[in-house]
Amino acid sequence: MKRYIAFLLTFVFVMSLALTGCGKANDSKDSSTSTQTESSSSKETKKEETKTEKKEEPAGDAGANEANEVSNDPNVKVINLWSFTDEVPNMLEKYKELNPDFPYEIKTTIIATTDGAYQPALDQALASGGADAPDIFCAEAAFVLKYTQGDASQYAAAYKDLGIDVDRLLKEAEIAQYTVDIGTNPDGNLVGLGYQATGGAFIYRRSIAKDVWGTDDPNVIKDKIGPGLDKFFEAAEELKQKGYGIVSGDGDLWHAVENSSEEGWIVDGKLNIDPKREAFLDYSKRLKDNNYHNDTQDWQDAWFADMKDAGAKKIFGFFGPAWLINYVMAGNSGGSAPGEGTYGDWAVCEPPVGFFWGGTWVLANKDTKVPAAVGDIIEWITLDSSETGLQYFWANGTLNGPGGTKDTVASGTVMKKSDGTLDFLGGQNMFDVFVPAGEFANGKNLTQYDETINLYWRDQVREYSAGNKSREQALADFKQQVADNLDVIVE
Amino acid sequence: MRRKGLSYAKYGYIFCIPFVLAFLIFSLYPIIYTAVIGFTDLKGLGRTDFKILENPFQNFITIIKNASFQQSLKNTIIIWVVNFIPQILIALLLTAWFTNHRNKIKGQGAFKVLFYMPNIITAATIAILFYSLFGYPKGPVNDLFMMLGITDEPIYFLIQKSTARGIVSFIQFWMWYGYTMIVLISGVLGMNPELFEASEIDGATSAQTFFFITLPNLRTILLYTLITSLIGGLNMFDIPRLFLLGGPDNATLTTSVFIYNQAFSGSYMYNRAAAASMIMFVIIAILSGMIFYIMRDKDAAQLKKFQKKQQKALRAAEKAGRRADG
Amino acid sequence: MRVKSNKSLYIGKIIKYFVCIFLAILSIFPFWIMLTNATRSTYEIQQNSISLIPSTYLLDNIRVLLGKSFNPLKGFINSMIISTGATLCTVYFSSLTAYALVAYDWRLRQPFFTFILAVMMIPAQVTSIGFYQFMYRVHMTNNFLPLILPAIASPATVFFMRQYLLATLSIDIVNSARIDGAREFYIFNKIILPIMKPAVATQAIFSFVGSWNNLFMPLILLTDNDKYTMPIMVSLLRGDIYKTEFGSVYLGLSLTVLPLFVIYFMLSKYIIAGVALGGVKE
Repeated sequence: MKRYIAFLLTFVFVMSLALTGCGKANDSKDSSTSTQTESSSSKETKKEETKTEKKEEPAGDAGANEANEVSNDPNVKVINLWSFTDEVPNMLEKYKELNPDFPYEIKTTIIATTDGAYQPALDQALASGGADAPDIFCAEAAFVLKYTQGDASQYAAAYKDLGIDVDRLLKEAEIAQYTVDIGTNPDGNLVGLGYQATGGAFIYRRSIAKDVWGTDDPNVIKDKIGPGLDKFFEAAEELKQKGYGIVSGDGDLWHAVENSSEEGWIVDGKLNIDPKREAFLDYSKRLKDNNYHNDTQDWQDAWFADMKDAGAKKIFGFFGPAWLINYVMAGNSGGSAPGEGTYGDWAVCEPPVGFFWGGTWVLANKDTKVPAAVGDIIEWITLDSSETGLQYFWANGTLNGPGGTKDTVASGTVMKKSDGTLDFLGGQNMFDVFVPAGEFANGKNLTQYDETINLYWRDQVREYSAGNKSREQALADFKQQVADNLDVIVE
Repeated sequence: MRRKGLSYAKYGYIFCIPFVLAFLIFSLYPIIYTAVIGFTDLKGLGRTDFKILENPFQNFITIIKNASFQQSLKNTIIIWVVNFIPQILIALLLTAWFTNHRNKIKGQGAFKVLFYMPNIITAATIAILFYSLFGYPKGPVNDLFMMLGITDEPIYFLIQKSTARGIVSFIQFWMWYGYTMIVLISGVLGMNPELFEASEIDGATSAQTFFFITLPNLRTILLYTLITSLIGGLNMFDIPRLFLLGGPDNATLTTSVFIYNQAFSGSYMYNRAAAASMIMFVIIAILSGMIFYIMRDKDAAQLKKFQKKQQKALRAAEKAGRRADG
Repeated sequence: MRVKSNKSLYIGKIIKYFVCIFLAILSIFPFWIMLTNATRSTYEIQQNSISLIPSTYLLDNIRVLLGKSFNPLKGFINSMIISTGATLCTVYFSSLTAYALVAYDWRLRQPFFTFILAVMMIPAQVTSIGFYQFMYRVHMTNNFLPLILPAIASPATVFFMRQYLLATLSIDIVNSARIDGAREFYIFNKIILPIMKPAVATQAIFSFVGSWNNLFMPLILLTDNDKYTMPIMVSLLRGDIYKTEFGSVYLGLSLTVLPLFVIYFMLSKYIIAGVALGGVKE
């Protein structure tokens, strides 16, 4: 018997050596045996890819943001794009329309950030490399720092290495400073830029404002709900007397609190709870105990329902940037023209505390085989302030013809020549409020683990406000969860 | 006969080669690999090089001390026990009913097909479905409860630890009792009909027949069910992860979700995840060993009987018996 | 005795039917909700997420669903390739191994069976870290083979098949075939496999369902969206971050279940008839 066991074990180890030893050989064999499962065209590009991979020398030297000479690999015909919404993929449709000679096929992968699925998948695709690796990828504010400055920053290409004249264009387009700060890697190279400006405002119901305060004028309402959260809670009480909730759930207020704090979750590798963020425990409790909201969770059914009065009580307003209006609220208002559902019954005013929320940064893979083409696309999206640049279309809602959704964009130059009048807001020009709101946005309080840490934090806050545990316990449990699950020092 | 058996014996080996090969490559090698990673500093994205830690057991110590891991182990066991007990009871009850020759249930074919059905839906689908069923402040279950006067205020099911765990257990129960039932029925159908006839002649009631004839003879299949369910239960992943992401407050965090979180979200701590995996492996091996040990005697006896019937050489049988004992 | 317990028998019967019908409703209910919601608008679903009555928005939902990067046909084909491949591997090689364990008298037979029982205890997820790193090293990510080939070694199925063969196989059939000059592989393929049909069908259902619904491994190994399986697509359906089109989400969910339904009902007669396993030898 022992003989057999010994034989088995030796066999296993020989096997394992053989398998790890000849990974390359295996690969080519596999791709030829798996013709049934792979389309033949993708197989071919894979082979070509591996050939060129060996020739290519990794480009990249630190220095000023001056454009470097770049050229495309003529054998590559596909650009892989990874995103968590269909925004950037739709932009590329337009880009192809504007550039009929564009010779590349765009292969798009869209994975939503809900359930935290996007990052692990993207990370693996970046790490695996090869023909399936992303050439262009998008990152959201909650985790963009990981790709520009954190654990995964080694994959991001400097814009200058894509042939983009960064310094000149930044000035010309008057790009908001916080998107530049966030998109700059530790070597001082710009690796990512956003196309949106995501400074936030308070978006409220005109009819409810009239009912409670006799007017729906944003200049009056902003002084009712702010400045400062004390006034905000006074307003909540007034609204409650009339049977309204001021916000849908505590999550609405969270985004305002999160991004108005001085410091982020991690300072010098240690967990840091900014006093402003810690105070959110009390705000959440106060909202819940006084029944100021419908106790919904953002991005869940009941939250969307409150945008069209389908909740337990009518909700006065939401905290959000311009994208929330067009991409979330308009679609969930129960109508598409004034008079239908809550459409047209909204207005925006200055929020009680300044904040910004979200935004998409566009990055390139430094191993891309077609840096020039990728650079052209990224320049068009993030730095082109002309009237055929993406941001002009984006701000005016003309990306897919007139009448599309409008949004605030990162380029101040573009904002100056754009018009933000919306039927959804009863004809208000939202840019009047959102452009100054952009000043509150800063990239200083973000960290690379925000998405994960926020998940734990919000969970514990809910436990506390629901009365399931004490404030101290919630804080202790939060620290414990961060320590247990992340490579972060917790004191 | 014996001679003949010997001359064909090589086919016994030949026919097992595919199984053994696939096992070595796809199971054993990854297990060894996982075990090795557990002793190293392999963490961070896209890394493949690693070295053994100064204190090789550092990851194991970290994991065992990790409060979330302890919590996840507790959750996993609670959720498994709460789902498995009703599951096996209902499955046994249905098996008794469906294999009872004296009063057959009409339409039992249809019932069998329906009972297994929840198992064929993707966990992702079930998670979404139950999420909306238990919605708060508005949701069908809350509406129903308020309509029936069970509660005056909507219940926030998904942030109460006990209800959240209860719902996960229920989903697991609901998905798997049909499967367990089918396996158990297969076991009963394989029994010698004479056994049942004899007990009927002796005037035993259905219940007596079930408890004194069916159940004892179902031992092997019950063992199979117990072991597979234990393994499945301790590796519960899809529902806890998709339904509430392990929340609220870690109440539905199972060890598999914990391992996934360590390895694939946040900090990519492959080494800690590997250590946690190996700890789970040891726990499962010990528990399974205990179950085997409890059922050891009868099993070995059955094996011996069977081998006699096959006219196997006595010596080989004893040897095997000793192996099963050891 | 029959006369005596007539009344209690009657009550017992009512209880039995009550329980069975209750469980049956519990089984059908979610499917029904899923299908009706697939025909309802997002607005209707938000107002009242459960309705037993279908609505009229099926076509709208189809349009929305296809407008997303959701490609049910692709997911269906991918899932089909993986699940069929894995199922064939599982049932064929498990039957073969089980046959080797029952029909042949070889020295390591008993140790090998003990070994299989032991292997049964190794959960796939425990080895996932090593498996993933291994596949990553040999560049087998985004390939279906790592999802199909491991199915060759499925100890639980071998165990099931062995129990079935113990109950049904008569060695005389094998011997007479040998006398006719049949070779061992021929005997297995042409004589034994047909005998095992009910067990194969049952295990095929279990294995197909398990493979079709597997989320963990494909999620880790497949990053190319051309290779996504149905469950990956479903788990991503929920998250169009800006706007959740519930109607089309449910439609997508329904679409993923439909192929399973067809296969399940095709093979369900084996579930109804039942498979006799040799649990015990008298």
